[in-house]
Amino acid sequence: MALTKDDVRGIADYARIALTEQELDQMHAYLNEAIQMLEPIRQYDLDGVEPTFHPIGGLRNVMADDQPDANGRALGVDEVLRNAAVRQGRLFCVPSILGVCLEENDGAS
Amino acid sequence: MRKLAKALLDWEAVIGLEVHTELTALKTKMFCDCKLSHDDPPNTNVCPVCLGLPGALPVPNSKAIEAIVMAGLSTNCQIQRRTLFYRKHYFYPDMAKNYQTTQGPVAFCMHGHLDVEVCADAAKERPGLTVCKDADGSYVTTIRILRIHMEEDAAKMVHVGGAEGRIGGATQSLIDYNRCGTPLIELVTQPDLRTPEEARLFMEKLRQAFLALGISDCSLEKGSMRCDGNVSIRRRGATELGTKTELKNLNSLKSLHDALAYEICRQAEVLEAGGTVRQETRHWEPRKRRTVVMRVKETADDYRMYPDPDLAPFDLPEELIERCRARVPELPDAKRDRYVADYGLKVADASKLAADPAVADFFQKVVAREPELVGTIANVMINLVPAVRQVTPAQVADLSGLLAKEAITFAQAREVLQIVDGTDANPSRVVDERGMRQSTDVAALAAIADQVLLRCAGQVQQYRDGNKRVVGYLVGQCMKAARGTGNPKLFGQILNAKLEKE
Amino acid sequence: MHLDGLSAAQIAAGVAAGEFSATEVARASLDAIASNEPRVQAFLQVSADLALEAAARIDARRAAKQELGVLAGVPVAFKDNMNLVGTRTTCASRMLGGYESTYTATCVRRLLDADAIPMGKTNMDEFAFGSSTESSAFYPTRNPWDASRVPGGSSGGSAAAVASGEVPLSLGSDTGGSIRQPAAFCGVVGMKPTYGVVSRYGVVAFGSSLDQVGPLGRTVSDVALAMNALVADGRDKLDSTSQDFRVNFLSQLDKLVEGMRVGVIPRLMEHQSLSVEVRQGMEVAQRALGEQGIELVEVELPNMASAIAAYYVIGPAEAFSNLARFDGVRFGYREPGCATLAEQTALSRAHGFGAEAKRRQMLGAYLLASGVYQTYYYPAQQVRTLITDDYRAAFERCDAILLPVTPTVAWHFGEVSDPTQMYAADLFTISCNIAGNCGISVPVGLGADSGMPLAAQLQGPAFFDHKLLRIAHALERGLASNGDTPLCLSGGERA
Repeated sequence: MALTKDDVRGIADYARIALTEQELDQMHAYLNEAIQMLEPIRQYDLDGVEPTFHPIGGLRNVMADDQPDANGRALGVDEVLRNAAVRQGRLFCVPSILGVCLEENDGAS
Repeated sequence: MRKLAKALLDWEAVIGLEVHTELTALKTKMFCDCKLSHDDPPNTNVCPVCLGLPGALPVPNSKAIEAIVMAGLSTNCQIQRRTLFYRKHYFYPDMAKNYQTTQGPVAFCMHGHLDVEVCADAAKERPGLTVCKDADGSYVTTIRILRIHMEEDAAKMVHVGGAEGRIGGATQSLIDYNRCGTPLIELVTQPDLRTPEEARLFMEKLRQAFLALGISDCSLEKGSMRCDGNVSIRRRGATELGTKTELKNLNSLKSLHDALAYEICRQAEVLEAGGTVRQETRHWEPRKRRTVVMRVKETADDYRMYPDPDLAPFDLPEELIERCRARVPELPDAKRDRYVADYGLKVADASKLAADPAVADFFQKVVAREPELVGTIANVMINLVPAVRQVTPAQVADLSGLLAKEAITFAQAREVLQIVDGTDANPSRVVDERGMRQSTDVAALAAIADQVLLRCAGQVQQYRDGNKRVVGYLVGQCMKAARGTGNPKLFGQILNAKLEKE
Repeated sequence: MHLDGLSAAQIAAGVAAGEFSATEVARASLDAIASNEPRVQAFLQVSADLALEAAARIDARRAAKQELGVLAGVPVAFKDNMNLVGTRTTCASRMLGGYESTYTATCVRRLLDADAIPMGKTNMDEFAFGSSTESSAFYPTRNPWDASRVPGGSSGGSAAAVASGEVPLSLGSDTGGSIRQPAAFCGVVGMKPTYGVVSRYGVVAFGSSLDQVGPLGRTVSDVALAMNALVADGRDKLDSTSQDFRVNFLSQLDKLVEGMRVGVIPRLMEHQSLSVEVRQGMEVAQRALGEQGIELVEVELPNMASAIAAYYVIGPAEAFSNLARFDGVRFGYREPGCATLAEQTALSRAHGFGAEAKRRQMLGAYLLASGVYQTYYYPAQQVRTLITDDYRAAFERCDAILLPVTPTVAWHFGEVSDPTQMYAADLFTISCNIAGNCGISVPVGLGADSGMPLAAQLQGPAFFDHKLLRIAHALERGLASNGDTPLCLSGGERA
């Protein structure tokens, strides 16, 4: 099941990477070639095989204490904003969001 | 807009809730050791981790894991020992990494429930109710909880250049990452709720439980507890689900109720006019008392969820779960039942005292001092204490003692409590110093009564003419003469005896 | 003074003994960098000020008779995906062209805590996507042995900086061979430790379940010395996948290897992609190991052929996710003049990332899509289990496995231009990352025709890094006694 150019356009939209028509064609060819390379994965009968999401052996339940700035990592506001291309006072700044999503920012959903 | 009760005659509402609760009682964020505080200047409590700087890695907060286990235990969930964190991707700058660290198909807490008791009045919203109704017309319904999972909160954004800070028309948005990474637990119910009142009661009960656990300040107004409602309607008797809408900005229990009520009526009108309900997210406008469209969902979002490789899996030790179980305090329902059984309080009064753990704790401290006065104490706690700012259990115990001995009137008790509010003054001493103590010396009161009867010959004549109610005036005169230290009940008895005799 | 011929251990000992000062060493390294960089271009940034400051501090502490760290005065270079306050961390990408580190990676911190001198940041394939350092957004690094050839990658700058004598030690990161392969191409020793042995905190992530930081040096013992410093403080509590593995690697190097067993996989030794020179190199390695009393046994890794497929599912998926944060808001390239956030994000990413970074992210975004996840991603993680089990079975029969690092010696610039063709060259290194095991690349001589370095790879079971180093050290010893080592070149002999 090869990807169509429209599929590739959809992935680029999702991944927030603007591609020119020419880049889209190249990406289209590349993705289908790469996916072809992944074919061995689909040849297996993997019934009952547990996945290994983490190559860490038996490491489990890694947690930290609830101690404020125990590791001394808090950044001053100038450090926080140092690499931001645009800032306003103490805040990061982005252009109009309209057109992306009409959702109010009232926290994680 | 037609009335809810009428809409619910023909239509059945199917409601599910998603409740986000910030673990405000913790000291640090979910995956880093930044201080939890939303009141500091913007971008104060941030570090490479919560700012998503290249190379930064998360480490989970152990207290957050314990808190969600407690939350699960308090809502009858099964605690899943083996779970993973997942990454949920969406490009939006309130998530510093453009993915949220959350949980996948298996959350820490799965398959719980809460029972909700609905009073007789609201039971009318469920015609043809099949759940068991009590003799008084109230009913109890079980609301299943699908899951409670652990995740991190997003940053706060302010939209500027548009009207009222709304996103539409804004020319730019400003971002403060202080809140980003705040530990958040999300509870998802099954669509078992059928009326706005059930939803309100569920939310109230959940809030009480989480408050009792001490994991969050659970403020709907401040947004540390946030509730989204999913609602669809279907013809009574139908089994197929209708198209649902998602409601946001429900930042009070009243908003939750009213927005659901509005939305049920709106959907009923749309459907009755032959229209179709669109799957969309709607925003509740409390002042205009309506919901408006925020965004239309045409296709399901694909969040590219996959297990977070940066976070080791969990296999919670039994010992940790038991430790959490031991820390789950008596919850409001159990407390209420105990107050009724042990103290003989009315269910309504017991509920009021048990709902807020701080109130219940205070109440029990007072009772511990004066175990015999529990009825009076409950009365004072419910009717007088809420009006003052800061009093101690000792003061309330003392005051209750004065009331029980009828040394002061209820009105005086209110006055005394206001006097001692915010001080360490002893109510008994205040009463004595101000001469407020009601005299029970019958001879002294009788002497005052005699003086009043002499002075008020007109009223005495009225009494003799059959106007027995004039005694009230005479009692008032006696109280005045006694400068408030008399006992009105005693004065009444003395006056009645004297007038009858004469 | 000149650094030529001085090992890291000799420098540390010399500084500690007062034979020369750390400042002299730092200046010697800066001199070597100044004379080699025009040709090699191993560095993206030379941190002369930081280096001289650090050296002055070390000298002052020595003057005050304070104890010095195990890397006292040793000049080190860091791959440019490692954060160090006072430097830019660019990942060789336009996206991070001006990015200034506001915190320091644990691996960097630990070398500096051992009194190493930070000489600068080395070139790499953009965001570590590549095997040649050609995808650096700034300039390619040239192989010190032949400037018309690539140094390998993605840690090409770190390998070239050591090979050209600019520094005796460097750090690289290895997601699918990115330390071992450039080490092989440049004729230096490069180690990928077991996943979890070295903290990843502060190292810009590519594939979080595959990435591992490791040292490159001229000798196995220098690499062991660097490993000592990297694990000195035990597990890093800032990295949830970090594990406590405090071992004195150096003191174990000379323990007996007699009777230890090294596995060979006949099928791979005869793999069609192997060049004649590489085959000859493998024979040299086998002979040297045998002469050290190590028994060679045949083993199998039946699912190894699927490792590339599994890797190019897991790696790009994790990469897409890790690189999502580059949107131009908090840091990184931001397209100017955009009217909406969506436009700004898509154009910042389009113009900030190079072609290969875009390809990997596109592939990853596809592979994680619902439905596709079940077809490729989940099964790839199951295949990972099979590959890990293969290793476990093989390591019941041997202490390490001998493999080529690459099918050929370093190729010429532009020679391998097709992305998937380049992926295929990772065949021998990738499965080690899939399983989380340790691996090391050791130079075994020069190709008779190409004159380019040849290398052998040893892979060991997880958390047996000390044993792996011991066997690598034996290999090195065996080669030296046969006169096969290429590691005695003076500056003049380098291209």
